[in-house]
Amino acid sequence: MSAPVWQRRRAAAVDVWRQFRANRGALFGTAFIALLVLFSLLAPLLIDQRGLEVVTATGGSLEPPSGEYWLGTDESGRSVMLLTLWGARVSLLVGFAATLLSVVVGTLVGVVSAHFGGWISAVLMRITDFFLVLPALVLAAVLMAVLPTSMWTVIMAIGVTSWPTTARLVRAQTLSVESRPYIERSKALGGGHAHVIGKHVLPSVLPLVFANTTLVVGGSIIAESTLAFLGMSGPEISWGSMLDRANQSGAVTAGAWWYLLPPGIAIVLVVLSFTLVGRGLETVLNPRLKGER
Amino acid sequence: MTPLLELQDLGVTYRTADGDLEAVRGVDLTLQPGETLGVAGESGSGKSTVAASVLRLLPKSATVTGTVLLDGQDVGAMRWGTLRAARWSEASVVFQGAMHALNPVRRVGKQIAEPIRLHTDAGESEIDARVRELLGQVDLPAAKARAYPHELSGGQKQRVMIAMALACDPRLVIADEPTTALDVIVQAQVLDLLGTLVEQRGIGLVFITHDLSVLASTCSRIAVMYQGRIVESGDAKEVITAPRHEHTAALAAAFPEVGDPGSRYAPATAEPLPEEGERDPQQPVLLSARDLRVHFRDRTGATVAAVNGVDLDVRRDEIVALVGQSGSGKTTLARTLLGLQRPTSGAVYYDGGPVPVSTSGLRDYRRRVQLVLQDPSSALNPRHTVYESVAEGPRIHRLGGDERDRVVRALEAAELRPAEQYLTRLPHELSGGQRQRVVIAGALALDPNVLVADEPVASLDASVRGEILGLLLRLRRQLGLAGLVITHDLGLAWNVADRVAVMYRGELVEVGAVEQVLLEPRHDYTGALLAALPSAGRDDARHEC
Repeated sequence: MSAPVWQRRRAAAVDVWRQFRANRGALFGTAFIALLVLFSLLAPLLIDQRGLEVVTATGGSLEPPSGEYWLGTDESGRSVMLLTLWGARVSLLVGFAATLLSVVVGTLVGVVSAHFGGWISAVLMRITDFFLVLPALVLAAVLMAVLPTSMWTVIMAIGVTSWPTTARLVRAQTLSVESRPYIERSKALGGGHAHVIGKHVLPSVLPLVFANTTLVVGGSIIAESTLAFLGMSGPEISWGSMLDRANQSGAVTAGAWWYLLPPGIAIVLVVLSFTLVGRGLETVLNPRLKGER
Repeated sequence: MTPLLELQDLGVTYRTADGDLEAVRGVDLTLQPGETLGVAGESGSGKSTVAASVLRLLPKSATVTGTVLLDGQDVGAMRWGTLRAARWSEASVVFQGAMHALNPVRRVGKQIAEPIRLHTDAGESEIDARVRELLGQVDLPAAKARAYPHELSGGQKQRVMIAMALACDPRLVIADEPTTALDVIVQAQVLDLLGTLVEQRGIGLVFITHDLSVLASTCSRIAVMYQGRIVESGDAKEVITAPRHEHTAALAAAFPEVGDPGSRYAPATAEPLPEEGERDPQQPVLLSARDLRVHFRDRTGATVAAVNGVDLDVRRDEIVALVGQSGSGKTTLARTLLGLQRPTSGAVYYDGGPVPVSTSGLRDYRRRVQLVLQDPSSALNPRHTVYESVAEGPRIHRLGGDERDRVVRALEAAELRPAEQYLTRLPHELSGGQRQRVVIAGALALDPNVLVADEPVASLDASVRGEILGLLLRLRRQLGLAGLVITHDLGLAWNVADRVAVMYRGELVEVGAVEQVLLEPRHDYTGALLAALPSAGRDDARHEC
């Protein structure tokens, strides 16, 4: 029995990929992200980490790009290119982890609230509203001040502030699925809450959640950079903290554009890629958007 | 005299992703002023395409061949401006599904006035007077002009649609399934109204429907369409009483006449029914309701009694038909019997004991009493194969044994043969009748004792209707399955049921054997339901159109 089911799922996946492929922007984004993820995983093997330490760095302070340092050096003499490449690790990790947190919480709250309705929904939605109106940056700043300064606090701060939109989206989609007669049939067959949610609701909600997830990753990376730029980050090298240090070390007045542009452009490219992929997936997976094209 | 409408060798082809689809082929029709022409056919027979081609309302993907002459003028050759003028002032359409054809955020008076504004340069006061006059013609108080569509009932909305169609004094009205979504009593009112308008104003009416019995009482001539062609046309009574084409016969048989002994226990099905065995009149009561009440609160906080003190018994080896108008509380009663809705007071008993309220007890109960929903296309998860849909129940109840074997047996019992061929199909690859069989198979997979079917054939085509009803009757005779069939269709009760319960405003006003209730109704409401039935033979005097 399972053979035809897998066959059908594979056919569906092939179909999604075919439609997705037609979108050039999304394809470019996918390729870029795949490359970056691969590189970030392999970075410790490719990069000599001594070049990242202030004490072992070999270059002079704020050297312009040259044959030895393609993108110049920072105020401590480290290669900006190495820092930028290494920074991708933190940015991606924070982006993915915060998104995972946000999507899991958001999906759970959304599905539970829509499925059970009544006072459970009322309470959950008021909590969602509370987090929705909370200024995200301020909450994150407060959390950073209260909790120990580390990358994991940044992840939590971003995750906690970005789940409400996912919850709203999932709730709306769940409500629309639950109003279909096949849910009633499933209940009449004796299906309990777990059955209805697991067999009928989640399979039709998850594609949309997946498309939303890619968009959230981009947002999370921006949030991480913003927090780091404002000085709220762990000791790890990230694009945001590079910009922060460049700002504090007088790179701007010194005209050291090679210190500012690489992390900035990296942020733009990564976020743009995630947005392109997310939009591309959304047009393929969201039935509402499909009809309008 | 020039005919009002003349179709000559009309053909319509739709360009689709899977190649060209010939929706209409070589259709010839003529209509004189003051005449009513009925066009009958199943979904997909091309009847709505014919209607749309008269005013060139077809989508861009359609190619039209042949000619359409509207009052002697070729519609196909008309310039855009002329065509626009012809739409609504020459000919107008009463669209199918009044619920969706009205704009929900505009008052109906404004919507009726819209074509008048577009086609004439009448002043505000003139328009107001005209709208009032039109509402009067369709028997609605003038004050309703200020109502929004959601404040009107289905029948009232349909009448607004008719008023809109009449707004510019057209000479031709095309009514596309104007009564399909309405229940019998409202349907009778709308049909009366259309008949009167044809008589008084000498307009031509093209009446499109899948229900031959409706045409019999309204039309002078009938054309039956099948697969894009007209297979039979002629005098209304002749076509219905002595159909020449087998498809016409199938359509006519699908709407049986209440009181005709030939169709009692004999739905129009191709497969023979098993002989009725010995029936013990004192079978044990399986499912019963005692003084059941379900109250809802409406928007204003007032209490509405959807089910108001119902006592009902369903015995083993018996089909009970629960009939009544929409809004009479039938569906709420069914949902309460199944434990999907909590009663406000009263109780449901199964096999002598009260139906449990605990989750596990209720799950056990649901194995015994199963539901078949009205619209099979939405009752199946579009992502699940037939196998998964049918196996859903057994998996929930962790029934032992070979799952595949159980599924195949259920599909065979629901007469989807050979079952293996259907296992991997998805709902959208099946026809409406096949989908309903899958829903029934899903219920049968649990070996239930009672089947509750909520309008099981209302959304199916006429020829499929008889097959599904035949299946219900066979299941009863072969397995002794008890059935509670909820319907607005008295012909269905006559076809398969043993007893009828008539529901009116939340109460059962009459319960008894089919013959007794339908032939000698005691309650006024039952009488009204019966009188509203359009009938082929009985009252010829009602409309001479």
